[in-house]
Amino acid sequence: MSQANTVPFPSTALPQVDSQGKLAGFLGLLPGIALLGVVGYAGKFIEQSIARYGKAHHLVLPNIEYVLWAILIGVLIANTVGLPKIFQRGVATYEFWLKAGIVLLGARFILGDLARLGGISLILVFIELALALTFMTYLGRGFKLSPKLVTLLAVGSSVCGVSAIIATQGAIDADEEDSSYAIAAILALGALSLLVFPLVGHALHLSDHAYGLWTGLAVDNTAEATAAGAIYSDAAGKIAVIAKTCRNALIGFVVLGYALYWASKGQAGVVTNKAAFLWKKFPKFVLGFLLISLLATVGFFSKPELASLGNLSRWAFLLTFAGVGLRTNFRDLSKQGVRPFLVGAIGEVVIAVLTLGLVWGADHIFHL
Amino acid sequence: MPATSRRSFFAALSLDTWAVLLSLALALVIRFGVLKSVPW
Repeated sequence: MSQANTVPFPSTALPQVDSQGKLAGFLGLLPGIALLGVVGYAGKFIEQSIARYGKAHHLVLPNIEYVLWAILIGVLIANTVGLPKIFQRGVATYEFWLKAGIVLLGARFILGDLARLGGISLILVFIELALALTFMTYLGRGFKLSPKLVTLLAVGSSVCGVSAIIATQGAIDADEEDSSYAIAAILALGALSLLVFPLVGHALHLSDHAYGLWTGLAVDNTAEATAAGAIYSDAAGKIAVIAKTCRNALIGFVVLGYALYWASKGQAGVVTNKAAFLWKKFPKFVLGFLLISLLATVGFFSKPELASLGNLSRWAFLLTFAGVGLRTNFRDLSKQGVRPFLVGAIGEVVIAVLTLGLVWGADHIFHL
Repeated sequence: MPATSRRSFFAALSLDTWAVLLSLALALVIRFGVLKSVPW
């Protein structure tokens, strides 16, 4: 089974276009990007319309963030009329907008806050990683999954979802079929988390900070973690990005660990230059995020400029959230094996509960 | 830098790097007043 069977369209559209070096290739992205804009803006329009209606009629209506509307519209399109081919490459750029949005979000943090939040997040991420990797490994073995599929599921659910699985697949020479199962499980569970996490957060009356930290630690894919945070509130979305970025930053170390393990068993290529390996796997957008935050801290931007950068980040996320909905195809996700999904689901529930406990503890110690 | 080397250099850039470059370019566009303000 090829990866394309599970992931409906390629997620790295821009570099392909650049390598082709054709204007037509670039123009081919535009319909999909326009669709992302239309779907995302429709979500924003619905949120504002409901708020206006409530205000005009003196009604207290629940404030449902545009994020959820955009995702729902996207899911509706993808699972009813489907996504015509002309839109597919442009819609696949949603990951690019996610990363640009995260870099620009740096303008909304000064380094001091970032160090504090990032420090707490990093401590919790280390604990989460140790617990999640151990638990998923034993759970996968218990379900008699192939050892490399266990590795992929463990990395996907503990570090950063699809990116981590793709990075690990190459490093440990895993089968594409195993990789497809793991990706499908992570995507299906990510879609579920968009509904479940906000409900649990509201039921437990979690603060924006605590909830954001929880989603950043527990939701696997960066796009879904950002969306699950932003559905709760803007502030929770920001914190979710910080916590998730800390997890993303550790991807290289975890993948290197597994690459060395499988190489020692003679079942993967030998890693000759560990520093080059780490740099290659390191998510570069983390550096961009820190750079923008540094510039904001030293006063390179005025207050109105910082507000504009923050708003640009919001527009980039708007495109991302529309893409999350548009690429969620339940028919594709249902083609995965039952056992990988079960392992992923049990693992996700346990990790969610464990991280909720961690966040609850951190909230009491550090007063998030 | 020859045109072919330039092309292969840009082709080798990752999605992450492109996202960082675009974001920095936008930040400079705002910083130097080319784009006055971005509403939400």
